[in-house]
This record gives sequence, structure tokens and C-alpha cells, in this order.
Amino acid sequence: MTHRPVLKVENLQTRFKSVQRGKFVHAVDDVSIELYPGEIVGLVGESGCGKSTLGRTIVGLEKATSGRVLLDGVDLSTLSGAALRDSRRALQYVFQDPYSSLNDRQTVGEALDEALQIDGIRSRADRDRRTKELLDQVGLADVVKDRHTRELSGGQRQRVAIARSLAVNPRVLICDEPVSALDLSIRAQVMNLFLRLQKDLGVACLFIAHDLELVRQAASRVYVMYLGKIVEHGPSQELYDHPSHPYSQMLLASVPEANPIAERQRKVPLMVGEVPSPTNPPSGCRFRTRCPMAVDDCRQQVPPALKLSPGHDAACVFAKDLHRGKRSALLEADANAERVGALVPS
Amino acid sequence: MDKLKPIFARLNKFPRVALVVIGLFVALGTFAPWLAPQDPSAQNLLQGGAGPSVAHWLGTDHLGRDTLSRLIIAANTSLVSVGSVLIIAMTIGILMGTIAGYHRGWVDDLLMRVVDVGLSVPSLIVALAVIGIVGPGYWTMVLALALAWWPMSGRISRAVAVSIMSKPHIEALRVLGASPWRIYFGHLLPGTIGAVMVYATADAGTAALAVATLSFLGLGIQPPTPEWGQMLVDALPYLESDPRQVILPGLALTAAVIGFNTLGEAIALNRIPKPLTRRMLAMRRIEVAGWGKENSDA
Repeated sequence: MTHRPVLKVENLQTRFKSVQRGKFVHAVDDVSIELYPGEIVGLVGESGCGKSTLGRTIVGLEKATSGRVLLDGVDLSTLSGAALRDSRRALQYVFQDPYSSLNDRQTVGEALDEALQIDGIRSRADRDRRTKELLDQVGLADVVKDRHTRELSGGQRQRVAIARSLAVNPRVLICDEPVSALDLSIRAQVMNLFLRLQKDLGVACLFIAHDLELVRQAASRVYVMYLGKIVEHGPSQELYDHPSHPYSQMLLASVPEANPIAERQRKVPLMVGEVPSPTNPPSGCRFRTRCPMAVDDCRQQVPPALKLSPGHDAACVFAKDLHRGKRSALLEADANAERVGALVPS
Repeated sequence: MDKLKPIFARLNKFPRVALVVIGLFVALGTFAPWLAPQDPSAQNLLQGGAGPSVAHWLGTDHLGRDTLSRLIIAANTSLVSVGSVLIIAMTIGILMGTIAGYHRGWVDDLLMRVVDVGLSVPSLIVALAVIGIVGPGYWTMVLALALAWWPMSGRISRAVAVSIMSKPHIEALRVLGASPWRIYFGHLLPGTIGAVMVYATADAGTAALAVATLSFLGLGIQPPTPEWGQMLVDALPYLESDPRQVILPGLALTAAVIGFNTLGEAIALNRIPKPLTRRMLAMRRIEVAGWGKENSDA
């Protein structure tokens, strides 16, 4: 992974006009991520933290307020019209809901054929051949081609949606919780399909999910997002073993144990309160309102991302302590104590 | 009214009856010139107001014109005028609605404010005003009604277009890099037309009524062209002596309006996409049975 990133997102910001006059919802705020060819990268966080908006902004479904998206070193914001559509084609999106992401009026063959037409394949015979190939790649029988998409099951539809994304030979696939709408049994199948495709085709994959276990198994690197910002990023094994941002620690600690005895003894640090409104994000560190370790400094300035080990960084003033194993301080912190300036780990 | 309720409820259960009525109306309207047994304008004052006979199955009106022929030709008049009104109104409405739904932003705001203005004025009054300015006549009436009718279909198609545009399958097309033309003509327009046609069926009844109303007031279809509303007003002075002349066109009009409404409602209900239709289930069963056979052979 020494080569150049295939997708580079620099200081991306997406905000929406709020219902309150003159205010903005800061859905994605100053986010930078990188994707290298052929890797699966996880993006985790609570609901409403801006994961999906980030994905949608990258593929251009939402307008970025500022920042750049570079695909193979080409800044997409400098392009427009047909040139933009042609370049952006290498960036595909897999939707969460396979029921609405396909047109009910089309058959599977028509849907794939249309994608191939968009990709500029003129000859009918070529398109038919490629359709067959794509169906084979996602593990669907050739007869499915003449079925209407509404006749298929959720898993089959998601396979068709994946095949359609692959039709245009993407370099990057952004998957927005692609399996969370599926049954558990189907989920594993579709996940394996993703792993196989990534291995066979070398497609880089940004995997947006809230299923932490899934991400741990699939992704080589993980970004943790909170309220529109990346709070921690690192190789997944390292990050799962040594979470170094209080938020990542709490997120990981909230995953229930499969073993009931271990589950009963498990200490769960209470995440106090609700996620603050992205319309009025807290000053400084965005997590400080819910963080048991927050100090005065957290209010004053946005904590910079601290490098902890190669490729692992966290945006917290205590990141280094936490990385060295100061987990207990957090777990034992009294959740009901006064938030700001109350607890300073020794 | 309570007594009527079960009748209406039953009527709604029989869209087939409505379909037959509307089918009859459309067939009569289309082939009226060949179906009408006699010349609808041929007068015979000596036989004015005659009852049913072999020559005149439904009798004659006060001028001795064959009522059956006039009713049939009136179906044609009604069909053509209602069809023209709806086609013109829907073309304008769907175009404006889909453009607004596709572009959103200021285009949407501008077009929808125009629609708001159109909707805020009662449609019949718009039609009356236009006719008042231009003068009564067949095509004046059609244009006036179309002018009064399009805001509603514009509003509906805009709502449909917005919902289609926000569906993930359109977003998927945008991510695939489909050209705006492909999205507009390939997906947005067919989807919108399909949904708006349903409203059009239900609207056809109201439009037929509006045509009859204007003709009744003498502002629409001019004599001697037969039209139900105009037949009603013609026969009105003879209401007491010859009520049949009022009842027959009235019944025809009522049947057409109720038929269109019932049919529109039925289509609207059936259009909710079902995962599998009965026929598909049967075919699936046969196919699955076939698989079993293959396996036992192997």
C-alpha cells in the first residue's frame, strides 16, 4: 500500500440549510480520508453522524460546501457536465435498500443493459455478453435476466444492484450499509461476495456500516466518525485492540458479548445524553458534551489528530494516554459527574 | 344519503360494470357516425315529441329528431371534447410538473407559483371568462377548459416527479453517470405519465360534466351539434309534457361520470404494485414443479 491513493477526500464539508433561519446543519465537517486500490475501508459511527452524507457527497449526490474529492489525482470539482459524469463513473455507490434502488419497471437484463449503455458500449451483442458475465460475477443464474426486479428476493436484488455498479468498471465502490437491510443468512453471502469481488477485481471499497463486528472482519482500515468529523482512524486490528479516542472506546464497549457470563460482568461506560444537534455543534471537541474525560481545553479548541502509531491517529488530547491503555479511567468515570472540567485522568 | 351508501359501496366493487359502461361510451363515441341509425339533425316537426316506435327506438324530441341517434352522436362529441381537454391539459401539466420536479430550486418555485395562481381561480370561472372574451364555440370551449384544467395535473405530476426523483434508483442512475436526457425521458417521464393517467381517468368524469355544463349554459357546443348538456337544455321547456327527453341524456351523462369515477378509483387501487400477481404465482408454481422433475431425472 505504498502507491498513490485511488480516492482522496480533502477537508470535505457538507452542510444543509437548517429549518432555523440562517443556520446550517453541519453534516460533514472538514473530513479527509484516503482509499488505496483494492482495500476495504470501514466507516463507522452512530446513526446521524454523517456517514451516509459523506458517502453521498463523495459520489456527488450531495453538493460539497467546500473541500475536494480527488479520483486518481483528478480533482472532480474542476470538472462539469459530461466530463464530470464520465470521470465520476469510476466511483460507484451501493445503496442500503435494494428494494428501492432498482426500477420496478425494468427487468434485471434491462437494468444492467442500461448501465452498460451509459458506459458507452454501443454493440448489443457486447452488452449481452457483459450482462451474462456480470450476473455470473455476482453469483446469479442467467435466467434471472428476464425477471422483473420486483420478483427477486432482497439478497438477489442487492446482487443485481452490485452487478449494475460493476457494469461501469468502477475503481471505488462506496457501500452504504449494503447488508443491513438483508436477512442474517443472506448477509454473510453478500459480504463474501464483496470480499471476493474486491480480491478479484481490485476495487477499493468504502464500507459504511454500524455493525462493528462486520467491519472488523471485512475492513483493513477503519475510520470512526462522530457528528460530522473523523475522530479516529487506524488499521482495524490496531483500532479494535487499542481504541484511543473516548468515543471509539465507548462505541466498541457497547457491543454486547456473545457469552452471557461475560456479558453480565461487562462494564459499559454510559454514553450520557443525546448526540448534540449538528446545527449547533459544541465548540472545540465535538464529543466533549458526552465525554467523561472532557477538560477545559476541549472547549477551547478542536483537538488535532495525534499520531499514535503508523497509520493510527485520534483527535483527542488524551489520545496518547488512552492508546497506552488508560481504558480503566474511562470505564470507571462516573457518568453523572459534572461534565466539563470535572475529570482529569491522572 | 345513508341508504345510498351501500349502493355506492357495491358500485365500487364492480369496476367491471364501470369498465363496460366506459367501454360502451368510448366505442359509441368512436364509431358514432356509423352506429347512429338516423341523421341526428333531420327534423320532422310532424312527429315532434313522439314516443318510442320501430323507426325511432327512443322516440323523437320536440323538433322530431331521432333521440337515439342524437344520444349516440352526443357520445362522440363528448368523447372528443373531453379527450382533447385532457390531452391538452395533461401535456401542459405533465411538462411543467416534471420540469419543476426535475430541476427543483427556482424553476420549481416559479412554475409552482404559476400553478398556484391557476389553482386559486375556480376552473369553471376561468373557462367562462375565456369564453366570454373569445366568444362561444367548440374549440374555444376545449381550450378554455384545458386552460382551467392543467394546474391540477401540473401539481399532481410535480408531486409524482419529485417522489420519483428522490427514489434511490434515480440516484443510482445519476451515480452511473446517466445523462439528464436519459433520466428525464427514460425514467422520469414514463413514470410520471403512468401515475398521472390514473388521475386523468377519474378527472374525465368531471371534465365530461364541465363540457355538459358549459353546453347547458349555451357557452360550449352550439346547436345543431348534439351534446348531452345541450339536449337537456333543449328539452327543458317540455319537462312536464315529455320528461323522457330530459331523463335520457341525463342518464347517459350520469352513467359516463359515475363510470369514469369508479374506473379511476379502481385503477388507482390496483396500481399499488403487488409483489406477485396471481398469474405470476401460478407460473412460478409450474416452474418450481419443473425443477423437481429435473432433479429426480438426474
